[in-house]
Amino acid sequence: MSMFTSTQIILAIMVVVYIVAKALKLSTELSMLLAAVAGALAGGAGIPARHIAEGAFTYFDIILIFITATLFMNLLKESGGVAFVIRGILKKFHRRRSILFILITILLLIPGALTGAGSVTVLITGGMISVVLSYMGLSKPKIAAIIFLIAGLSAAAPPVSLWAMLTAAGVNMPYVGFFLPLLIPCVVLALLTIFILGWKGQSVDLEKALKELPEAPKGMNWTRVLLPFLFFLALVILGRVLPHSFPILGLPLIFVFSAFVTVLISPVELQILKISRDTVKQLLPLIGTLTCVGILVQIMTLTGVRGLIAISIVTLPIVAVFASLFFVLPVSEAVLMWGAAPVLGVPLVLLFNTIGLNPIIALAGMSIIWPLGDALPPTAIIGRLTKDTVGMEEPYTQMLKHCIVPALIIMAVGTLMVIFSKSLSFLTLL
Amino acid sequence: MSLIGLVFLVFAGISFYKIRHLKEPVVLGPGVTQVKKLSTYFPKIKGSINDANIYFLEGSEPGGTILILGGSHPEEPAGRLLGWIFAENAIVEKGTVIVILSANRSGTTVTRLGGAYPPDYSIPTEWGEQTFRMGDRWSNPLDQWPDPEVYIHYPSGQELAYVDIRNLNRTWPGRANGTLTEKTCFALTQLIKDEGVDIVFDLHEAELQYPVISTIVAHEKGQDLAAMASMMISGTEDFSMGVENSPEALRGLSHREIGDHTDAISLLLEAPEPFLDATRGRTNRALLLEGKDEFVVKAGKHGLLFERIDENGWHIDVRVGRHCSTILQILELWSEDQPERGIRMTHVPRYAEVIANGTGHYLRDPSTASPGKLTFE
Repeated sequence: MSMFTSTQIILAIMVVVYIVAKALKLSTELSMLLAAVAGALAGGAGIPARHIAEGAFTYFDIILIFITATLFMNLLKESGGVAFVIRGILKKFHRRRSILFILITILLLIPGALTGAGSVTVLITGGMISVVLSYMGLSKPKIAAIIFLIAGLSAAAPPVSLWAMLTAAGVNMPYVGFFLPLLIPCVVLALLTIFILGWKGQSVDLEKALKELPEAPKGMNWTRVLLPFLFFLALVILGRVLPHSFPILGLPLIFVFSAFVTVLISPVELQILKISRDTVKQLLPLIGTLTCVGILVQIMTLTGVRGLIAISIVTLPIVAVFASLFFVLPVSEAVLMWGAAPVLGVPLVLLFNTIGLNPIIALAGMSIIWPLGDALPPTAIIGRLTKDTVGMEEPYTQMLKHCIVPALIIMAVGTLMVIFSKSLSFLTLL
Repeated sequence: MSLIGLVFLVFAGISFYKIRHLKEPVVLGPGVTQVKKLSTYFPKIKGSINDANIYFLEGSEPGGTILILGGSHPEEPAGRLLGWIFAENAIVEKGTVIVILSANRSGTTVTRLGGAYPPDYSIPTEWGEQTFRMGDRWSNPLDQWPDPEVYIHYPSGQELAYVDIRNLNRTWPGRANGTLTEKTCFALTQLIKDEGVDIVFDLHEAELQYPVISTIVAHEKGQDLAAMASMMISGTEDFSMGVENSPEALRGLSHREIGDHTDAISLLLEAPEPFLDATRGRTNRALLLEGKDEFVVKAGKHGLLFERIDENGWHIDVRVGRHCSTILQILELWSEDQPERGIRMTHVPRYAEVIANGTGHYLRDPSTASPGKLTFE
């Protein structure tokens, strides 16, 4: 039996086991785990404890960031800082919708651009922004769509774009020349998203909004709110400006330090242990998903299924490759998350380079499409995180429905950047 | 469910522990005159996992000095295996040959998360088989963690992917107060300076979809030497080697930084390793050692590869043999051009011999070695 046939059979078995597990009402995480184990058995690897454990740690760093960033935000919320900021922004800008939108876009773009993680945008500013937007007459699904899409663009935005960096590293291409090719589409598309989805809201009834919003505790002020953020920013910037004399802290520890500052200056006493326990409980489903995705990817690689998918895509006619980017990239992100960059990004960039396209612009174009997959099953990590953060009780599909128009624009822009990458080469030189 | 988790934890834990502590024997050949530690050149690395063994093979006749780096990327095994062949067989008559088998020893103790690498691999020999740690491209996070959000290379300031702060071939020339990987490069740079090394060979393998393959990447100081060697190899051996100039914009790599920061000529050799291709099929020991893969062959048929591949694959003996012959050819040319800094040695097989006899033929039986002639990697 050829490797193609045997691998196709393994893939089919994994898909069937996943579908059956879901039909039996098992969770997505357990279904993925069972599909992985079935794939390993079908591939003749038995139940490979080493590979399962190794795969489970693939996204360990990201899990730590999730936990520490959420703890930081939950502490800030419990201290009354969130309520204080929302009331302040509403009082100042409730009559100037455009300025408010631009400010909101900037606030949403910064955390993800600095860290490369859309989840950080959702966790740091997403919650606060969602409350502001809700008092501008936008529905929860629409708000979730805005925050999710801009969080994705923030992750693709420079200076840190993990898809571009991981792919560049995979083809030994320096991560230089990416700043404008990533910045321009990310900023323009983020503004388009918020104006398209948010323009039709109503004007803010300030009195009613302020009445409904929780009061900030006595003693809360801008210094107490901003200091933990400034501390966070200072630690990130110090790492950049003095990379060779400032210790490498890593994002999880930076978030822990910022959380510590929040506790120190909070006007109310914070129950750290309780908030920590609640945070981990809140994130447990996401942690489970990431762990099981890692296991699934490991087994797909072990059995050749990952290679089968990659070779099937990169050997399509080039027109079909262009035409399928809008679909293939988000789907690969949904299954592999950042793992999509080394699995698909590397062969695609090498393919584009071989046919004379500009690999930097093409990779930048792909990088803005990839994050859209974070709303899709089986993982839907950022989408689900956004839904929880916004407090949306409507079905998840409501959020996806509002994402469609801006997402189509993002896909079109990204694909055009790939096709016309050669003509856009000048952007890499500026 | 917890019990199942615990069982997995125990079995996986035993596997991880065994590989991290697997001892790889090296039988010191007749040419080895001394074995030093890397910390000799930079004491701050003493006691760390990257305090590598350095094998000196000194000739009776004065001449030049070369350094062979194996294991910069441990997941590329041909370089490490060549190191074993030199340390266990070579006899140097003129000059000094310095060999390092585990330039990034930390990277040999871990396999790539999500990569499904086998934990080890074995080379068949006439006395049984010898097992080696598989390793990864990067240092083990157990030895160097956390990573920054973005890695800023020293001293250029170039931004690189965060994970490459653990990549030994992105941290040259190194930093005395840096991370473990940066300190390792700093120590290696000190070694090159202190020993007056003339040529550094950094041995690598690459996926076939990577354009820099089957080639010598040369710093401008070594471009003529590499070009001449490339021509000679194509004329005299049963394979061809290309030449690439080391790009000035790509920082942190040995072929760029060693040439820039020391007096040595820096050359990086690449051999094809289908195991590393993103389109590879089953990830296992057979693919690592035999280099046969239908998916990669299909990629080749679609013009997506920068090196040919057929059903014969790229066997480890072919990859090791190419490195052997390339080094020997370069040294012959160097010695003709610089007789006073020349290197002359025997008992190192060329390409055809490695293929005919197999890599294992050149590995010595550790059970028959006297205690003073045995070290471990």
